Amino acid sequence: MRISTKGKYALEVVADLALHSDAKHPESLKNIALRRNLSEKYLERIMKMLKDSGIVRSVRGARGGYCLGRPPETLTAYEILKASEGELAPVECLIRDASCGIACGKCPTQNIWRNMWEVIKEVSGRVTVGDIIRETKRKEGIKTG
Amino acid sequence: MKLSTRGRYGLRALVDLAANAGEDTASLVQTARRQKLSLNYLEQVFASLRRAGIVTSVKGSGGGYALARDMDEITAKEVLEALEGDFAITGHDTGEDTDPVRHAVKHLLWDEINKQVSDLLSDRTIGSLVREYKMM
Repeated sequence: MRISTKGKYALEVVADLALHSDAKHPESLKNIALRRNLSEKYLERIMKMLKDSGIVRSVRGARGGYCLGRPPETLTAYEILKASEGELAPVECLIRDASCGIACGKCPTQNIWRNMWEVIKEVSGRVTVGDIIRETKRKEGIKTG
Repeated sequence: MKLSTRGRYGLRALVDLAANAGEDTASLVQTARRQKLSLNYLEQVFASLRRAGIVTSVKGSGGGYALARDMDEITAKEVLEALEGDFAITGHDTGEDTDPVRHAVKHLLWDEINKQVSDLLSDRTIGSLVREYKMM
């Protein structure tokens, strides 16, 4: 059971934007890529998905770049993962017919996968970008003493 | 995020075997047929379960597999760990990464999901899955 690197980076990129930009001061793709140690090309792909979902928005112009599409307290880890990873279901049959050969009503394991999915949705739906940046600042505070 | 077919089909087949044979020995032929899984594939999966001490095997005619312990003592967690390896949503943490954003996400999200999924899978035994299955 794994979250892909794309989902992990998407969360970090959104948290980074929350820390380093606001509506009046968008951040350049280049700076985000440098801080997050990602290629600009890869970052662009992540940004496109986040932009299409309204999680971030782009600002044009000479001092253009990106900023959050909504306040950090209203952005959940769940929607960021969903935008970058697609559905978070641990098995496909929870979201669409997977034609595995047996009827879902007679499946010995579908309930346990569903319970797992519920945990993932519940925890990631509760954690906001606001929580992540507060925790980041707390950790930075500890590090710098 | 996806579970591998080994984990998915292995747990399903084990519940089927336990539901139909209890703690007696049964061949995998019927389980393969009922669960629409390849017998060859199931033999491989059950070899892993045997190495993990979850089932025992009996050779010869009338042979097959049986649960190594009482079905209420075998958790879904140990079965999935035997089949999937380490069962964490983001894999091993190397511990070398000191990036504060990454640490914050790990602390708030991945560790919490891993803990709750682990609790859930430790609470569910093969026995409870068998009883649920028989009610269907």
